[in-house]
Amino acid sequence: MIRTALKTIFAHKLRLALTAMSVVLGVGFIAGTFIFTDTIDNTFGDLFEDVFAGQDVIVQGETEFDVGFAGPPPMPAEVLDIVEAVPGVEAAEGSVGGFAVIYDNDGEAIVPTGPPTLGGSWSDDDRLAGNVELREGRRSVGPNEVVIDAATADGNSLALGNVVQIQTPTGVNEYEIVGIVGFGESDNLAGATFAAFDLETAQALFDLEGQLSTIVVLAEDGVSPDLLRSNIAQALPEGVEAVTAADEAEAQSEALSDSLGFLRTALLVFALVAVFVATFIIQNTFRIIVRQRQRELALMRAVGATPSQVVWMVVIEAVMVGVFASIIGILFGFVVASGLTGAMSAAGFDLPSSTAPLAIRTIVIGLTVGIVVTVLSALLPAIRASKIPPVAALQDTEVTLRMSDRRRTLVGVVGLVFGGALMAAGLFVASFQIGPINELLAIGIGSLFVFLSVSLLSSLIVKPVARFLGWPLPKLDHLTGTLATENTVRKPRRTATTASALMIGLALVAFFFILGDSIKASAGSAIEEGLRADYVVSVDGFSGGFSPSLGEHLAEEPEISDVTFLRFGFWDREGSDEFLMAVDTETIDETIFLDVQTGSVAALTDGGVLVFDTIADEEGWILGDTVAMGLAATGLQQVEIVGTFAESNVVQANFLVGEKFYSENFSGFGTDLDFVLAVKAADGVAPDAARAVVENAAAEYANVTVRDQVEYRQSQEDQVNTILIMFNALLGLAVIIAVFGITNTLALSVFERTREIGLLRAVGMSRRQIRRMVRWEAIIVAIIGSLLGIVVGLVFGVAVTGALSSQGINVLSIPAVQIIGLVLFGAFAGLIAAILPARKASRLNILEAISYE
Amino acid sequence: MTTSTVPVDLAAARMEQGIKTYGSGGAEVRALDSINVAFEKGQFTALMGPSGSGKSTLLHCIAGLDTLTSGRVFVGATELNTLSDKDLTLLRRKKVGFVFQAFNLIPTLTARENILLPLLIAGDDHDTAWFDQVVGILGLGDRLTHRPSELSGGQQQRVAAARALVARPEIIFADEPSGNLDSKSAAELLGFLRRAVREFGQTIVMVTHDPVAASYADHVVFLEDGHTVGELNDPTADSVIDRMKQFGG
Repeated sequence: MIRTALKTIFAHKLRLALTAMSVVLGVGFIAGTFIFTDTIDNTFGDLFEDVFAGQDVIVQGETEFDVGFAGPPPMPAEVLDIVEAVPGVEAAEGSVGGFAVIYDNDGEAIVPTGPPTLGGSWSDDDRLAGNVELREGRRSVGPNEVVIDAATADGNSLALGNVVQIQTPTGVNEYEIVGIVGFGESDNLAGATFAAFDLETAQALFDLEGQLSTIVVLAEDGVSPDLLRSNIAQALPEGVEAVTAADEAEAQSEALSDSLGFLRTALLVFALVAVFVATFIIQNTFRIIVRQRQRELALMRAVGATPSQVVWMVVIEAVMVGVFASIIGILFGFVVASGLTGAMSAAGFDLPSSTAPLAIRTIVIGLTVGIVVTVLSALLPAIRASKIPPVAALQDTEVTLRMSDRRRTLVGVVGLVFGGALMAAGLFVASFQIGPINELLAIGIGSLFVFLSVSLLSSLIVKPVARFLGWPLPKLDHLTGTLATENTVRKPRRTATTASALMIGLALVAFFFILGDSIKASAGSAIEEGLRADYVVSVDGFSGGFSPSLGEHLAEEPEISDVTFLRFGFWDREGSDEFLMAVDTETIDETIFLDVQTGSVAALTDGGVLVFDTIADEEGWILGDTVAMGLAATGLQQVEIVGTFAESNVVQANFLVGEKFYSENFSGFGTDLDFVLAVKAADGVAPDAARAVVENAAAEYANVTVRDQVEYRQSQEDQVNTILIMFNALLGLAVIIAVFGITNTLALSVFERTREIGLLRAVGMSRRQIRRMVRWEAIIVAIIGSLLGIVVGLVFGVAVTGALSSQGINVLSIPAVQIIGLVLFGAFAGLIAAILPARKASRLNILEAISYE
Repeated sequence: MTTSTVPVDLAAARMEQGIKTYGSGGAEVRALDSINVAFEKGQFTALMGPSGSGKSTLLHCIAGLDTLTSGRVFVGATELNTLSDKDLTLLRRKKVGFVFQAFNLIPTLTARENILLPLLIAGDDHDTAWFDQVVGILGLGDRLTHRPSELSGGQQQRVAAARALVARPEIIFADEPSGNLDSKSAAELLGFLRRAVREFGQTIVMVTHDPVAASYADHVVFLEDGHTVGELNDPTADSVIDRMKQFGG
């Protein structure tokens, strides 16, 4: 049996290659995602080990809630004395860290995309410096000197003796570079920029006078880190903890892995879409193969093979294709991974390079997915094959073994209703949950059913749709057009499945187009209403924020009437990270319209929180209730709701707090920075003059951009566009697989019509006409797929936009141009898919073709 | 009149010193062995011979479906050896008609479209009167909108014959056209082919192994082992059988 299957496979190498291709791409995407994220994981794992090299125990502020990037709260400087007094401590040293943006020689901020801009004090004691090594010059001493990392220095032509500007939470100042550091072998710390000051200077710059962020401890010889840690812990005051350096390295590395988890999940979702599309292709291929081998299989039955042996024959073939394709797919994963790294760096995310690891988990998952998907896809055709009666071997007519149209309609409609209901439940039922199925899963599974049902039902409409699409063809190209149209309706199921594979990818693209356009339109109109300020100053890229001194400076200018800051903060909401914005309660009424429903913004002045009304509705919160906020610095706080608001497009947060609450409860990296400034010009000041004042002040803070209302709106749209491009690029693979599917189906159809093509050639059809015929057929199939995709995408788009109306997406906008573009894209994809089969068809040897049995 | 003595200007198609070999070295098979043959215009010629005698190869080579290993082939005044694939395609479209034993029709096209296939391929208009006449003689008038799957075997072969005729080619090649038909349908089809020759001056070359079919032709050319081994004018089924006995075929 195995030998028979093997022989069949090798007899049809091209078919094997094309079938395998869809599995290869799908598995490759999955494997690539794992390899890519594992690479990042490993890099940071190694990195943290190095950072803590030579250190034994770390003492830091204790936090109940580890949220965002803020890290543990600072501790009083006196803790150092306590630690030093613990027996077994060889040396201990305190340090502070924070935000510091270095400017280049042109006054532009050096802001890497992704990695942070770090500042800090650093060790006087080489034994405690971890892997930080002075490569040139000396340590920085006093308020006017700095040491920077070698990568930043080299990359921006900064050298010893240069004077650079550096922005810290307390403002922008000039420093002389007196030293350059490296981190072991590396020139920088995973892409971050680093500016080091002496401890006293750093404490002043980061507004941490009399405080320390961490204390690093070296044990005496013979004292184990664990023992020392527990000794120190006993001596520490409340709110301060001691951990071994090894544990801390692991914890930090794990925290980073967790934050990568989201990226991994998102990529895997797209990979699963690709695999889903691949199942259509494989299923279609096996169905066609079984049909083409009908007589052969019937003959096997006639000579005594049992139905289950026939099933096994097809399944074994599928297993072999699955194994082969999965192995290639896993290897292809390395290509995908390097593609992802390339895409990330093209998008500006600088990832430290490292060798790509192939984890056992990646191999197991890749093989499992590849084999299971292939076998499952082949199972139905295999079972059908087993039902071929032996007598079929003797007959010329083909045996139909398909579901009746009536049954298809029934199954399709039931599936569609079930899928639609599940999606609707996920979208519209608040906190939907049945067993392990939550809202997102319900939407995912629902859409799966919708796709499958539409595919099932689409074979019923293939005929009229293809005839309609083919209708203008005879006028363009009489004979080949007619033949192509008729060929697509010959096997409606085959055409439907092939088109459906393309449908899935394009439906999601259309969906994202509609959602994106609606978000843009909603945000646009909301910004028009919500933004009362004339200018918005916001931070560029990923530098986390900018010094509040800019806002203070602007507020003093006579041309400016009001300046409102927004500051960013993470907190723990029932176990997951949530963020809030701290707002300037005195000026916000002048600059940002919040559409307050109950309570008031003014009430925030004394503490409390303002909640977005949709969230309040969902939770059943009313004025005077409390929200349990887990805060890194101060633990769990019951915070009173002092109001609700309905316009969140400018503040872009569901929770707002006042400055008092923020300064009392937030500390650490970034929390002492402004994220956005909303600036309103004084009455009677010409826009040009006012803008010049803002630009002028902002110029010193090189990592910010000033935008007026129109520009701000545009920048918000650009953000949505960037995400759209990313999503659509990730869907690209699913579309490519579908294109392979069209190629595969066409190639098999051409093979099936060998004699027909031979005849056409014999009576005078040119190779070119044959090619045209195959091309038209591909284009019709592809356009059917695109149209189906657009219809499904439209429904999804309208439904999801409707469900998000409470989230402020209240304008439904359908981008007609992009949608029409999708159809053209689909037609183009068909054209590409037809290249190989068309060539194959046109090169058939006429004599062999007409005598082909 | 014998085929090898047809004057050049009277030949609708001819082959000079045609050699066709398959394989090479020890496995070489010579399907046509220095064959000289010509088919006179306006005549119905049958090619007969046992399996492997080279009759189908001869037909394929002279019709431009296959190429000779050496020698020359002419359709009318056109020498095929020098033609590109494109010109050969045009030749088949304009100057040659085909009727095969089976699978003559495109299943997705109606009978009418199948008949007009060479003209549709060329994008040419058809001569309505001629089309009606051909369809009328073949008795296909009421079947024109049907697909091949809705036609009987005899009707399918008549559609194929109509297709071969409708473009008025210089020569029609028929490869066992009645091979798959019952005797009544076969008689109808062959009778029609003969009528096309007699009444419209069409030239037809037919490969067959059936003496009855051959008796509809004006001449029979006998082939064996890639050679012509004899000819017969105004054959009857009996005279063909007698002749075949001589060759042991």
